[in-house]
Amino acid sequence: MDAVIVKDLSYQYWPEGPQVLKNISFQAARGEMLVITGLSGCGKSTLCYCLSGIAGHRRDAVMQGQVLVNGKDVRGLRAASLALEAGMVFQDPDTQLFSPSVEDEIAFGPENLCLPPDEIRARVDQVLDLLDISSLIKANPYHLSGGEKHLVALAAVLALDPPVLILDEVMSRLDRHGVMRVTEVLQTLRNAGKTIIAVEHRLETVTFADRLMVMEKGALLRWGTTKNILADQEFLAAQHLLD
Amino acid sequence: MSFLKLSQVNFRYPKQEKLTLDNINLEIDQEQVTAVIGPNGSGKTTLSKVIIGVLPATGGQILLQGSKVEEYSLAQIGRRIGYVFQNPDLQLFCGTVAEEIGFGLINQGYEADRVKERVDFYLEYFHLAEYRQAFPLHLSQGEKQRVAIASVLATEPEFMILDEPTVGLDAYRKKILAAYLQKIARSGRGMILISHDMIFVNRLADRIIQMEKGCIVGDSDGKGDNDHDT
Repeated sequence: MDAVIVKDLSYQYWPEGPQVLKNISFQAARGEMLVITGLSGCGKSTLCYCLSGIAGHRRDAVMQGQVLVNGKDVRGLRAASLALEAGMVFQDPDTQLFSPSVEDEIAFGPENLCLPPDEIRARVDQVLDLLDISSLIKANPYHLSGGEKHLVALAAVLALDPPVLILDEVMSRLDRHGVMRVTEVLQTLRNAGKTIIAVEHRLETVTFADRLMVMEKGALLRWGTTKNILADQEFLAAQHLLD
Repeated sequence: MSFLKLSQVNFRYPKQEKLTLDNINLEIDQEQVTAVIGPNGSGKTTLSKVIIGVLPATGGQILLQGSKVEEYSLAQIGRRIGYVFQNPDLQLFCGTVAEEIGFGLINQGYEADRVKERVDFYLEYFHLAEYRQAFPLHLSQGEKQRVAIASVLATEPEFMILDEPTVGLDAYRKKILAAYLQKIARSGRGMILISHDMIFVNRLADRIIQMEKGCIVGDSDGKGDNDHDT
Protein backbone atom coordinates (compact mmCIF):
# COMPACT_ATOMS: atom_id res chain seq x y z
CA MET A 1 0.00 0.00 0.00
CA ASP A 2 1.23 3.52 -0.79
CA ALA A 3 2.27 5.58 2.25
CA VAL A 4 0.55 8.69 0.92
CA ILE A 5 -2.53 8.70 -1.33
CA VAL A 6 -4.07 11.97 -2.49
CA LYS A 7 -7.34 11.74 -4.42
CA ASP A 8 -9.06 14.67 -6.14
CA LEU A 9 -7.86 17.12 -3.51
CA SER A 10 -9.20 20.68 -3.70
CA TYR A 11 -8.78 23.29 -1.00
CA GLN A 12 -10.08 26.75 -0.10
CA TYR A 13 -8.99 28.57 3.06
CA TRP A 14 -12.53 29.94 3.46
CA PRO A 15 -15.79 29.14 1.63
CA GLU A 16 -15.77 32.10 -0.76
CA GLY A 17 -11.99 32.11 -1.09
CA PRO A 18 -9.95 31.18 -4.14
CA GLN A 19 -9.36 27.52 -4.88
CA VAL A 20 -5.75 27.16 -3.74
CA LEU A 21 -5.56 23.48 -4.71
CA LYS A 22 -7.47 22.12 -7.69
CA ASN A 23 -8.29 18.46 -8.05
CA ILE A 24 -4.87 17.04 -7.20
CA SER A 25 -4.22 13.30 -7.22
CA PHE A 26 -0.98 11.38 -6.68
CA GLN A 27 0.57 8.66 -4.55
CA ALA A 28 3.91 8.18 -2.84
CA ALA A 29 5.23 4.74 -1.94
CA ARG A 30 7.19 3.69 1.14
CA GLY A 31 10.86 4.46 0.64
CA GLU A 32 10.15 7.02 -2.05
CA MET A 33 11.18 10.66 -2.23
CA LEU A 34 8.98 13.05 -4.13
CA VAL A 35 9.81 16.70 -4.78
CA ILE A 36 7.19 19.39 -5.36
CA THR A 37 8.20 22.52 -7.26
CA GLY A 38 6.53 25.46 -8.99
CA LEU A 39 6.39 29.25 -8.84
CA SER A 40 5.71 31.02 -5.52
CA GLY A 41 2.02 30.99 -4.63
CA CYS A 42 1.15 27.90 -6.71
CA GLY A 43 -0.06 25.97 -3.66
CA LYS A 44 2.99 23.93 -2.63
CA SER A 45 2.88 24.84 1.06
CA THR A 46 -0.91 24.42 1.19
CA LEU A 47 -0.49 20.92 -0.23
CA CYS A 48 2.05 20.22 2.55
CA TYR A 49 -0.45 21.46 5.16
CA CYS A 50 -3.07 19.10 3.67
CA LEU A 51 -0.68 16.12 3.73
CA SER A 52 0.31 16.79 7.34
CA GLY A 53 -3.35 17.14 8.34
CA ILE A 54 -3.06 20.75 9.51
CA ALA A 55 -5.14 22.19 6.66
CA GLY A 56 -7.97 19.72 7.20
CA HIS A 57 -8.39 20.87 10.79
CA ARG A 58 -8.57 24.55 9.92
CA ARG A 59 -11.91 26.13 10.82
CA ASP A 60 -13.86 27.53 7.85
CA ALA A 61 -11.65 25.77 5.32
CA VAL A 62 -13.22 23.79 2.49
CA MET A 63 -11.27 20.61 1.80
CA GLN A 64 -12.60 18.23 -0.82
CA GLY A 65 -11.21 14.88 -1.88
CA GLN A 66 -9.13 12.61 0.28
CA VAL A 67 -5.66 12.47 1.83
CA LEU A 68 -4.62 9.11 3.24
CA VAL A 69 -1.38 8.74 5.17
CA ASN A 70 -0.51 5.15 5.96
CA GLY A 71 -4.09 4.27 5.07
CA LYS A 72 -5.62 6.76 7.51
CA ASP A 73 -7.68 9.77 6.48
CA VAL A 74 -5.85 12.80 7.90
CA ARG A 75 -9.15 14.52 8.70
CA GLY A 76 -10.10 11.69 11.06
CA LEU A 77 -6.92 11.97 13.15
CA ARG A 78 -6.17 14.30 16.06
CA ALA A 79 -3.00 16.40 15.91
CA ALA A 80 -1.09 14.18 18.34
CA SER A 81 -1.87 11.05 16.32
CA LEU A 82 -1.04 12.81 13.06
CA ALA A 83 2.42 13.73 14.33
CA LEU A 84 3.23 10.03 14.57
CA GLU A 85 2.17 9.40 10.98
CA ALA A 86 3.61 12.44 9.21
CA GLY A 87 6.16 14.95 10.52
CA MET A 88 6.33 18.33 8.87
CA VAL A 89 9.14 20.89 8.85
CA PHE A 90 7.69 24.31 8.08
CA GLN A 91 9.11 26.78 5.59
CA ASP A 92 9.61 29.26 8.41
CA PRO A 93 11.32 27.52 11.36
CA ASP A 94 10.36 30.38 13.71
CA THR A 95 6.78 29.08 13.62
CA GLN A 96 7.93 25.70 14.89
CA LEU A 97 10.49 26.37 17.61
CA PHE A 98 9.41 27.22 21.15
CA SER A 99 11.76 25.61 23.69
CA PRO A 100 14.51 27.43 25.63
CA SER A 101 17.25 25.11 24.38
CA VAL A 102 17.92 22.98 21.31
CA GLU A 103 18.08 19.91 23.54
CA ASP A 104 14.62 20.61 25.00
CA GLU A 105 13.21 21.35 21.56
CA ILE A 106 14.28 17.97 20.20
CA ALA A 107 13.31 16.08 23.36
CA PHE A 108 9.80 17.59 23.43
CA GLY A 109 8.29 15.13 20.93
CA PRO A 110 9.79 11.94 22.40
CA GLU A 111 8.84 13.13 25.94
CA ASN A 112 5.24 13.46 24.79
CA LEU A 113 5.37 9.92 23.47
CA CYS A 114 6.16 8.94 27.11
CA LEU A 115 9.36 7.22 26.04
CA PRO A 116 11.83 6.18 28.79
CA PRO A 117 14.49 8.85 29.61
CA ASP A 118 17.31 6.72 28.17
CA GLU A 119 15.47 6.37 24.89
CA ILE A 120 14.76 10.14 24.77
CA ARG A 121 18.45 10.90 25.44
CA ALA A 122 19.48 8.44 22.73
CA ARG A 123 17.11 9.94 20.16
CA VAL A 124 18.25 13.50 20.90
CA ASP A 125 21.93 12.54 20.60
CA GLN A 126 21.27 10.53 17.46
CA VAL A 127 19.55 13.32 15.50
CA LEU A 128 22.03 15.96 16.71
CA ASP A 129 24.83 13.76 15.42
CA LEU A 130 22.99 12.90 12.20
CA LEU A 131 22.59 16.56 11.27
CA ASP A 132 26.00 17.56 12.65
CA ILE A 133 24.59 20.10 15.11
CA SER A 134 25.78 18.62 18.43
CA SER A 135 27.61 21.88 19.16
CA LEU A 136 24.24 23.67 19.37
CA ILE A 137 22.79 21.40 22.08
CA LYS A 138 22.62 24.06 24.84
CA ALA A 139 21.87 27.04 22.56
CA ASN A 140 18.59 28.93 22.62
CA PRO A 141 16.90 28.17 19.28
CA TYR A 142 15.88 31.84 18.92
CA HIS A 143 19.53 32.89 19.01
CA LEU A 144 20.47 30.67 16.10
CA SER A 145 20.88 31.67 12.48
CA GLY A 146 18.08 30.91 9.99
CA GLY A 147 19.85 27.83 8.63
CA GLU A 148 20.63 26.47 12.10
CA LYS A 149 16.98 26.96 13.13
CA HIS A 150 15.89 24.90 10.15
CA LEU A 151 18.27 22.08 11.10
CA VAL A 152 16.92 22.11 14.68
CA ALA A 153 13.31 22.01 13.40
CA LEU A 154 14.24 19.06 11.19
CA ALA A 155 15.99 17.33 14.10
CA ALA A 156 12.89 17.76 16.29
CA VAL A 157 10.73 16.10 13.65
CA LEU A 158 13.23 13.29 13.03
CA ALA A 159 13.31 12.54 16.78
CA LEU A 160 9.64 11.52 16.52
CA ASP A 161 10.63 9.00 13.84
CA PRO A 162 7.48 9.38 11.71
CA PRO A 163 7.17 7.14 8.62
CA VAL A 164 6.33 10.13 6.39
CA LEU A 165 8.36 13.36 6.28
CA ILE A 166 7.01 16.55 4.74
CA LEU A 167 9.70 19.18 4.25
CA ASP A 168 8.79 22.66 3.07
CA GLU A 169 11.93 24.29 1.61
CA VAL A 170 14.04 22.95 4.43
CA MET A 171 17.29 23.60 2.55
CA SER A 172 16.59 27.18 1.48
CA ARG A 173 18.54 28.77 4.36
CA LEU A 174 21.33 26.22 4.59
CA ASP A 175 24.97 26.73 3.69
CA ARG A 176 26.67 24.30 1.35
CA HIS A 177 27.75 22.00 4.16
CA GLY A 178 24.20 21.95 5.54
CA VAL A 179 22.72 21.15 2.13
CA MET A 180 25.16 18.28 1.63
CA ARG A 181 24.46 16.95 5.11
CA VAL A 182 20.67 17.10 4.70
CA THR A 183 20.73 15.50 1.24
CA GLU A 184 22.83 12.64 2.65
CA VAL A 185 20.42 12.23 5.57
CA LEU A 186 17.39 12.24 3.27
CA GLN A 187 18.91 9.52 1.10
CA THR A 188 19.67 7.42 4.18
CA LEU A 189 16.14 7.87 5.51
CA ARG A 190 14.62 7.00 2.15
CA ASN A 191 16.74 3.85 1.96
CA ALA A 192 15.47 2.99 5.45
CA GLY A 193 11.90 3.10 4.13
CA LYS A 194 10.77 6.62 4.97
CA THR A 195 8.51 8.42 2.53
CA ILE A 196 9.76 11.95 1.90
CA ILE A 197 7.78 14.73 0.27
CA ALA A 198 9.86 17.89 -0.13
CA VAL A 199 9.14 21.32 -1.58
CA GLU A 200 12.17 22.81 -3.30
CA HIS A 201 12.98 25.60 -5.77
CA ARG A 202 16.64 24.75 -6.27
CA LEU A 203 16.24 21.59 -8.33
CA GLU A 204 19.99 20.94 -8.48
CA THR A 205 19.89 20.05 -4.78
CA VAL A 206 17.31 17.26 -5.21
CA THR A 207 18.44 15.39 -8.31
CA PHE A 208 18.49 12.22 -6.20
CA ALA A 209 14.71 12.33 -5.62
CA ASP A 210 12.66 9.58 -7.23
CA ARG A 211 9.91 11.74 -8.66
CA LEU A 212 9.24 15.39 -9.35
CA MET A 213 5.87 17.16 -9.33
CA VAL A 214 5.48 20.54 -11.02
CA MET A 215 2.54 22.62 -9.82
CA GLU A 216 0.97 25.63 -11.48
CA LYS A 217 -1.81 27.81 -10.04
CA GLY A 218 -3.02 25.15 -7.61
CA ALA A 219 -3.02 22.30 -10.12
CA LEU A 220 -0.63 19.46 -10.78
CA LEU A 221 0.91 20.39 -14.13
CA ARG A 222 3.26 17.47 -14.60
CA TRP A 223 4.78 14.65 -12.63
CA GLY A 224 7.22 11.93 -13.49
CA THR A 225 10.66 10.62 -12.67
CA THR A 226 13.11 13.32 -11.60
CA LYS A 227 15.49 12.24 -14.34
CA ASN A 228 12.90 12.65 -17.11
CA ILE A 229 11.60 16.01 -15.96
CA LEU A 230 15.06 17.47 -15.31
CA ALA A 231 16.10 16.29 -18.78
CA ASP A 232 13.28 18.35 -20.32
CA GLN A 233 15.06 21.69 -20.09
CA GLU A 234 12.66 23.25 -22.58
CA PHE A 235 9.71 22.52 -20.29
CA LEU A 236 11.56 23.76 -17.19
CA ALA A 237 12.59 26.96 -18.96
CA ALA A 238 9.02 27.55 -20.16
CA GLN A 239 7.84 27.20 -16.57
CA HIS A 240 10.57 29.64 -15.38
CA LEU A 241 12.01 26.98 -13.09
CA LEU A 242 15.67 27.28 -14.14
CA ASP A 243 18.14 29.53 -12.32
CA MET B 1 34.74 58.93 3.03
CA SER B 2 33.20 55.47 3.26
CA PHE B 3 29.44 55.18 3.68
CA LEU B 4 30.04 52.71 6.53
CA LYS B 5 33.21 52.20 8.52
CA LEU B 6 33.48 49.50 11.16
CA SER B 7 36.55 49.52 13.42
CA GLN B 8 37.31 46.65 15.81
CA VAL B 9 33.61 45.85 16.21
CA ASN B 10 32.69 43.07 18.62
CA PHE B 11 29.32 41.68 19.55
CA ARG B 12 28.28 39.16 22.17
CA TYR B 13 24.70 38.01 22.75
CA PRO B 14 23.58 38.11 26.42
CA LYS B 15 24.61 35.08 28.49
CA GLN B 16 26.89 33.85 25.70
CA GLU B 17 30.58 33.23 26.28
CA LYS B 18 31.62 33.38 22.65
CA LEU B 19 31.76 36.56 20.60
CA THR B 20 29.35 36.43 17.65
CA LEU B 21 31.33 39.20 15.96
CA ASP B 22 35.04 39.28 16.65
CA ASN B 23 37.12 42.32 15.75
CA ILE B 24 35.36 43.33 12.53
CA ASN B 25 37.16 45.98 10.48
CA LEU B 26 35.33 46.92 7.32
CA GLU B 27 34.69 49.87 5.03
CA ILE B 28 31.68 49.83 2.70
CA ASP B 29 31.19 52.14 -0.28
CA GLN B 30 27.74 53.52 -0.95
CA GLU B 31 27.82 52.74 -4.67
CA GLN B 32 28.92 49.12 -4.45
CA VAL B 33 27.05 45.86 -4.09
CA THR B 34 28.88 44.11 -1.26
CA ALA B 35 27.92 40.49 -0.67
CA VAL B 36 28.46 38.95 2.76
CA ILE B 37 28.69 35.19 2.60
CA GLY B 38 29.69 32.43 5.00
CA PRO B 39 28.43 29.31 6.75
CA ASN B 40 25.26 29.26 8.87
CA GLY B 41 25.94 30.88 12.22
CA SER B 42 29.03 32.77 11.05
CA GLY B 43 27.57 36.13 12.14
CA LYS B 44 26.28 37.59 8.85
CA THR B 45 22.82 38.58 10.11
CA THR B 46 24.23 39.80 13.44
CA LEU B 47 26.69 42.00 11.55
CA SER B 48 23.87 43.59 9.56
CA LYS B 49 21.77 44.20 12.70
CA VAL B 50 24.75 45.80 14.45
CA ILE B 51 25.27 48.07 11.43
CA ILE B 52 21.69 49.38 11.54
CA GLY B 53 21.79 49.81 15.32
CA VAL B 54 19.13 47.23 16.17
CA LEU B 55 21.82 45.39 18.13
CA PRO B 56 24.30 47.72 19.87
CA ALA B 57 27.92 46.63 19.34
CA THR B 58 29.64 45.29 22.48
CA GLY B 59 32.86 47.03 21.45
CA GLY B 60 34.43 49.05 18.68
CA GLN B 61 33.04 51.82 16.54
CA ILE B 62 30.64 52.06 13.59
CA LEU B 63 30.56 55.22 11.52
CA LEU B 64 27.63 55.89 9.19
CA GLN B 65 28.45 58.71 6.76
CA GLY B 66 31.20 59.79 9.16
CA SER B 67 29.10 59.93 12.34
CA LYS B 68 28.84 57.35 15.09
CA VAL B 69 25.86 55.08 14.45
CA GLU B 70 24.66 55.42 18.07
CA GLU B 71 24.22 59.16 17.51
CA TYR B 72 21.43 58.45 15.02
CA SER B 73 17.93 57.41 16.03
CA LEU B 74 16.66 54.16 14.48
CA ALA B 75 14.33 56.28 12.32
CA GLN B 76 17.28 58.33 11.05
CA ILE B 77 19.19 55.16 10.22
CA GLY B 78 16.06 53.75 8.57
CA ARG B 79 15.87 56.77 6.26
CA ARG B 80 19.44 56.11 5.11
CA ILE B 81 19.49 52.32 5.05
CA GLY B 82 16.57 50.20 3.88
CA TYR B 83 16.63 46.80 5.58
CA VAL B 84 14.96 43.63 4.34
CA PHE B 85 14.80 41.05 7.13
CA GLN B 86 15.53 37.39 6.54
CA ASN B 87 12.03 36.55 7.70
CA PRO B 88 9.33 38.71 6.04
CA ASP B 89 6.87 37.83 8.82
CA LEU B 90 8.88 40.15 11.08
CA GLN B 91 8.45 43.03 8.70
CA LEU B 92 4.85 42.92 7.47
CA PHE B 93 2.12 44.48 9.56
CA CYS B 94 -0.39 46.35 7.35
CA GLY B 95 -3.91 45.24 6.46
CA THR B 96 -3.28 45.00 2.72
CA VAL B 97 -0.35 44.53 0.38
CA ALA B 98 -0.90 47.97 -1.17
CA GLU B 99 -0.86 49.63 2.28
CA GLU B 100 2.31 47.74 3.17
CA ILE B 101 4.17 49.01 0.10
CA GLY B 102 2.82 52.54 0.55
CA PHE B 103 3.45 52.78 4.31
CA GLY B 104 7.02 54.07 4.13
CA LEU B 105 6.14 56.55 1.40
CA ILE B 106 3.21 58.01 3.35
CA ASN B 107 5.44 58.34 6.41
CA GLN B 108 8.03 60.17 4.36
CA GLY B 109 5.39 62.72 3.42
CA TYR B 110 4.82 61.82 -0.22
CA GLU B 111 1.66 63.16 -1.93
CA ALA B 112 -1.14 60.62 -2.34
CA ASP B 113 -0.80 60.59 -6.16
CA ARG B 114 2.91 59.86 -5.96
CA VAL B 115 2.31 57.12 -3.38
CA LYS B 116 -0.28 55.48 -5.63
CA GLU B 117 1.98 55.73 -8.65
CA ARG B 118 4.87 54.03 -6.86
CA VAL B 119 2.71 51.39 -5.20
CA ASP B 120 1.19 50.53 -8.59
CA PHE B 121 4.64 50.25 -10.13
CA TYR B 122 5.99 47.89 -7.46
CA LEU B 123 2.82 45.79 -7.42
CA GLU B 124 3.19 45.32 -11.16
CA TYR B 125 6.96 44.80 -11.18
CA PHE B 126 6.95 42.12 -8.50
CA HIS B 127 3.84 40.36 -9.86
CA LEU B 128 1.74 41.31 -6.84
CA ALA B 129 -1.07 43.28 -8.57
CA GLU B 130 -3.65 40.53 -8.01
CA TYR B 131 -2.87 40.66 -4.26
CA ARG B 132 -3.30 44.45 -3.92
CA GLN B 133 -6.09 44.05 -1.34
CA ALA B 134 -4.85 40.77 0.16
CA PHE B 135 -3.74 40.52 3.81
CA PRO B 136 0.07 40.21 3.55
CA LEU B 137 0.35 37.44 6.14
CA HIS B 138 -2.07 35.29 4.12
CA LEU B 139 0.35 35.14 1.20
CA SER B 140 2.84 32.40 0.44
CA GLN B 141 6.39 32.80 1.76
CA GLY B 142 7.74 33.81 -1.64
CA GLU B 143 4.97 36.38 -2.10
CA LYS B 144 5.56 37.77 1.41
CA GLN B 145 9.24 38.08 0.61
CA ARG B 146 8.41 40.08 -2.54
CA VAL B 147 6.07 42.38 -0.58
CA ALA B 148 8.77 43.00 2.05
CA ILE B 149 11.37 43.77 -0.63
CA ALA B 150 8.96 46.01 -2.57
CA SER B 151 8.08 47.94 0.63
CA VAL B 152 11.74 48.75 1.21
CA LEU B 153 12.58 49.51 -2.42
CA ALA B 154 9.55 51.83 -2.74
CA THR B 155 11.10 54.39 -0.39
CA GLU B 156 14.23 54.48 -2.57
CA PRO B 157 16.74 54.40 0.31
CA GLU B 158 20.29 55.60 -0.35
CA PHE B 159 21.61 52.21 0.67
CA MET B 160 20.09 48.82 1.44
CA ILE B 161 20.81 45.69 3.41
CA LEU B 162 19.07 42.57 2.14
CA ASP B 163 19.31 39.51 4.37
CA GLU B 164 18.79 36.34 2.33
CA PRO B 165 16.39 38.03 -0.12
CA THR B 166 16.12 34.95 -2.34
CA VAL B 167 14.81 32.56 0.33
CA GLY B 168 11.34 31.45 -0.75
CA LEU B 169 11.70 32.99 -4.22
CA ASP B 170 11.39 30.84 -7.32
CA ALA B 171 14.03 31.07 -10.05
CA TYR B 172 11.87 33.41 -12.16
CA ARG B 173 11.30 35.93 -9.36
CA LYS B 174 15.00 35.73 -8.40
CA LYS B 175 15.92 36.90 -11.90
CA ILE B 176 13.39 39.73 -11.73
CA LEU B 177 14.76 40.83 -8.35
CA ALA B 178 18.36 40.62 -9.59
CA ALA B 179 17.51 42.76 -12.62
CA TYR B 180 15.93 45.45 -10.42
CA LEU B 181 18.79 45.45 -7.93
CA GLN B 182 21.29 45.72 -10.80
CA LYS B 183 19.35 48.72 -12.10
CA ILE B 184 19.41 50.58 -8.79
CA ALA B 185 23.06 49.64 -8.20
CA ARG B 186 23.92 51.18 -11.58
CA SER B 187 22.22 54.38 -10.42
CA GLY B 188 24.71 54.57 -7.54
CA ARG B 189 22.58 53.15 -4.74
CA GLY B 190 24.54 50.25 -3.33
CA MET B 191 23.71 47.52 -0.90
CA ILE B 192 24.93 44.78 1.39
CA LEU B 193 23.62 41.46 0.19
CA ILE B 194 23.67 38.55 2.63
CA SER B 195 23.13 35.28 0.84
CA HIS B 196 24.04 31.63 0.45
CA ASP B 197 22.81 31.72 -3.13
CA MET B 198 26.07 32.04 -5.05
CA ILE B 199 24.34 32.25 -8.44
CA PHE B 200 22.51 35.36 -7.19
CA VAL B 201 25.64 36.74 -5.50
CA ASN B 202 27.75 36.26 -8.62
CA ARG B 203 25.14 38.07 -10.72
CA LEU B 204 25.21 41.15 -8.51
CA ALA B 205 28.19 41.56 -6.22
CA ASP B 206 31.06 43.96 -6.89
CA ARG B 207 32.78 42.74 -3.76
CA ILE B 208 32.46 39.59 -1.66
CA ILE B 209 33.18 39.52 2.08
CA GLN B 210 33.48 36.05 3.54
CA MET B 211 32.76 35.43 7.23
CA GLU B 212 33.53 32.50 9.44
CA LYS B 213 33.00 32.13 13.20
CA GLY B 214 32.34 35.85 13.64
CA CYS B 215 35.43 37.01 11.76
CA ILE B 216 36.05 38.30 8.26
CA VAL B 217 38.21 35.70 6.54
CA GLY B 218 38.04 36.89 2.94
CA ASP B 219 37.53 40.06 0.92
CA SER B 220 37.58 39.75 -2.86
CA ASP B 221 36.15 41.15 -6.09
CA GLY B 222 32.75 39.87 -7.17
CA LYS B 223 30.98 39.52 -10.55
CA GLY B 224 32.83 36.34 -11.36
CA ASP B 225 32.29 32.66 -11.13
CA ASN B 226 33.19 32.58 -7.47
CA ASP B 227 32.91 29.26 -5.80
CA HIS B 228 33.34 30.20 -2.18
CA ASP B 229 32.45 27.63 0.42
CA THR B 230 29.24 29.01 1.89
